[in-house]
Amino acid sequence: MTLSILAQLAVSGALIGLVYALIAYGFQLTFATSKSINFGQGELVMVSASFTLTLITLGLPYWVVVPAGLLFGAALGLFVERAAVRLALEQKSEGWILLTIILGLFLFSVAENVWGRDDRPFPTPISSEPIHFLGVDVTPVELSVAVGVFAVMGLIEVFKRQTLLGKAFEAISADRDAGELMGISATHTVMLSYALSGMVAALAGILVSPITTVGPTMASAMILKAFSVAVVAGLESGFGVVVIGMFLGALESIASYSLGSGWREAPGLLLLILALAVRPTGVFGKAIIRKV
Amino acid sequence: MWKRLLLIRGAELLMFALLIGVPLAVQNPYVLGLLTLLAIYGILLIGLDVTVGYLGQVNLAQAAFLGLGAYTAGLCVTRLGWGMPLATLAAIGVGVLLGALLALPALRLEGPQFALATLSFTALTVTALNELEWLTGGAQGLSLSRPPLFGHLLSAREFYWLCMALLALVWIGMRNLLASQWGRAFEALRDSPIATDAMGVGTYRHKVAGFALGSALGALAGALYALNFQYLQPQTFVYELTVILLLGVVLGGRKSLWGAFVGASLVALLPNLLSNRTLFEAISGVGFLLSLFAGVRGLLRRAMRPFQALAPIVATFALVVGGLLVQNTEDWRKAIFALMLFSVVVGLPEGLMGFASKFLSRLFRIPDAPLPAASPLEQVLPAKKERSGAPLLELRDLKRSFGGVRAVDGLSMTVRAGEVHGLIGPNGSGKSTVVNVVSGLYTPTAGEMLLRGRPLPRGSLFDTARVGVARTFQNLQLFTGLTALENVMVALRGAFPKSRSMPLVLLGLGRREEKRAQADALALLEFVGLADQARTPARDLTYGAQRFLEIARAVARKPDLLILDEPAAGLSHPDMLRQIEVIKRVHQRGVTIVLIEHHMDVVSGLCDVVTVLDGGKSIAEGTPAEVKRNPKVIEAYLGEVEAGPAASPVPTAPATA
Repeated sequence: MTLSILAQLAVSGALIGLVYALIAYGFQLTFATSKSINFGQGELVMVSASFTLTLITLGLPYWVVVPAGLLFGAALGLFVERAAVRLALEQKSEGWILLTIILGLFLFSVAENVWGRDDRPFPTPISSEPIHFLGVDVTPVELSVAVGVFAVMGLIEVFKRQTLLGKAFEAISADRDAGELMGISATHTVMLSYALSGMVAALAGILVSPITTVGPTMASAMILKAFSVAVVAGLESGFGVVVIGMFLGALESIASYSLGSGWREAPGLLLLILALAVRPTGVFGKAIIRKV
Repeated sequence: MWKRLLLIRGAELLMFALLIGVPLAVQNPYVLGLLTLLAIYGILLIGLDVTVGYLGQVNLAQAAFLGLGAYTAGLCVTRLGWGMPLATLAAIGVGVLLGALLALPALRLEGPQFALATLSFTALTVTALNELEWLTGGAQGLSLSRPPLFGHLLSAREFYWLCMALLALVWIGMRNLLASQWGRAFEALRDSPIATDAMGVGTYRHKVAGFALGSALGALAGALYALNFQYLQPQTFVYELTVILLLGVVLGGRKSLWGAFVGASLVALLPNLLSNRTLFEAISGVGFLLSLFAGVRGLLRRAMRPFQALAPIVATFALVVGGLLVQNTEDWRKAIFALMLFSVVVGLPEGLMGFASKFLSRLFRIPDAPLPAASPLEQVLPAKKERSGAPLLELRDLKRSFGGVRAVDGLSMTVRAGEVHGLIGPNGSGKSTVVNVVSGLYTPTAGEMLLRGRPLPRGSLFDTARVGVARTFQNLQLFTGLTALENVMVALRGAFPKSRSMPLVLLGLGRREEKRAQADALALLEFVGLADQARTPARDLTYGAQRFLEIARAVARKPDLLILDEPAAGLSHPDMLRQIEVIKRVHQRGVTIVLIEHHMDVVSGLCDVVTVLDGGKSIAEGTPAEVKRNPKVIEAYLGEVEAGPAASPVPTAPATA
């Protein structure tokens, strides 16, 4: 394997890795406010992408379709929160794990029947003609992934730091009870986080669809790697998921080239189990002091 | 007593007799196939219930263990030419080994992280089965033919009976195990891992053993699966199956062998249920009416939240309407399953059998199993005839800091045998940290801790508990899902010599110990005045009773040193007086006590010596009366005091959170 091939594999892998990072970031948003994550997030990615594709085939222009797709994702996020998470959180049980899995199963089945089981291409105005840059080829579609990921993560981080609503979000994340005593509704904040998380999932779907095509199983491998990224990086650090996401993307692209494409998923999963064994709070996570 | 045994054992016998008898009456290979699958799934789900029900963790790896067991057995038969018994044993071995290997790292995790780790294991297993083509045949699959058993080629019917016999064995073994100290330990560490370690039970050991056991059962089911179908494909053991298995356990009812069995029948019968339209309509209709009835009743009685009542109605209504609209129910298999599960998980969190067993025990008035008479106290908590006054616990220059905060900053103190040693100080003076360091929750940053002149284990609750230090918790750490009696039984020291070995327990050899332990635990409940609430789940006890139970549980360790962390915090006045009596009686049995307390009347009434902490250091030591007059102590509590009445008593500070 020459160095240039290696670099090429690493770069295009890392760009796909940003999609994992974006989905993992969606986990962090809900984990911060409610200590819960949506195990059916992959279905949110897939259903939002399918919905957006339907709008495109109806002839709506791309720049109208994308915001509509994001809103649809946010609505799905709210639905997940209402149907699967809120009751379990009120009962302080871990029922949300099961319920979000169930909801994912349901959405998967609906998508199979509404949009069919085949993979369909996702047209985009962004060109996929490669540009030669510093010895590696990147396509504008791949670059659009990077731009979209950094833009939305940046916007959400600015929102959290600069707006009153964002500060309420941070307050509930830091201490739910204290936040509620200051008059912030924890329920509304959790809803907000699920809406944001759904929107982020939709964006991930829209960004990656031109590369992967759209179909019911488009996210099933991706979601596993997003889980890995979220756990390896820790469920707190947005910077962490970007680093780990790009690293994992590069690693698996090299693994699939050198070991065979069937082994594509293996590095992420091994990385996950290893990281959990060595550092259960994640590479970028904080150690927790147990209190009694 | 007999009624209970007759009904419960009778129902089990009847079910197995029926299942064994069916193939004699019905000569239908299709039915036989289904029943065989039912037996296999039964074993699989009983295994899964160990982690999901008892350990309380969402385990998504059971399909992987089914696959690993199946492939191990398959490869042993095809490649090595082994017979059925050896191949099955090999599969179980692989299950135990990989189960333990996965458990070691994964069980340090809780909740979602554990679910993710097991999910990754499943995905990794499927990848490996697919890609190791030279071994497994990859996506092409692996064909085998069932070898004869001791020279006799089993017919399909005989193989079914073999599976049933194994299911019955697993059933009996697991019943023995789960009713023993093991079952209690599993539930205890689900409720409070910290207290489980502090009671000397060993969270980690039990978690790993439980997970490995569940995985071994999964692998056993896998071996039977391979020998039954005689063709394996990696695609069978994917995420979807693992989710369906998990949901089968939840649907049937957690922590119940019957529940696992009911879940297994649903998982096995599901495909047929969907292909028969009338049956499907009937079931969804009944489901809708039931949830409508239960939901409306729950709302009218205000026993349910609106969402809990309405969501199952909406979901089952969608099933009924969807069933009428949709052309082919097979296509909507997953959605149908999802809707059914959703209604059960929301509406019946205890599962079908959890609900049914409550209902049936009320219907037939099944009495609880009777309790033995309490043991004499002298046997449970022998009075110590130790020489009083010798140093028992010595702390030398003990330090513990968190980041830059020095919570304990060079504390030296000596606790003498037979004394009640008070530890007081204003909020944030480091009392709780001292307790947590001595009991092993935190590792000391520096300094020495000696028990009877020998170094105390550092940073391990379990090891510290094992050398005779017991503690209670300021923020109660009871095993909330267990009864008061079981809470004490978990902690009983030296009561279960046989039950330490899992095989002996599986064979049912721990029963006598169990009776004796019940009697011992009952004596301790009597000791703190809770004997009449022995069967009450800890979460339903009053706050005061929970505090007494904490002490009874710690005393069950027969400790040399008992650390009480604010035992009177938040108690009403009558309860506090009762608590003082309880502590006095524990002391009279010769137990040395370290008492952390804010209430000055509790301290004055009980303590022989008091150490006052401030800023992580000892600022005074003496009898309660001496300490009260010490100007440094008064200053620490009230700030600097100018000339005034010297003997102002130390005020009762509010409890630290």
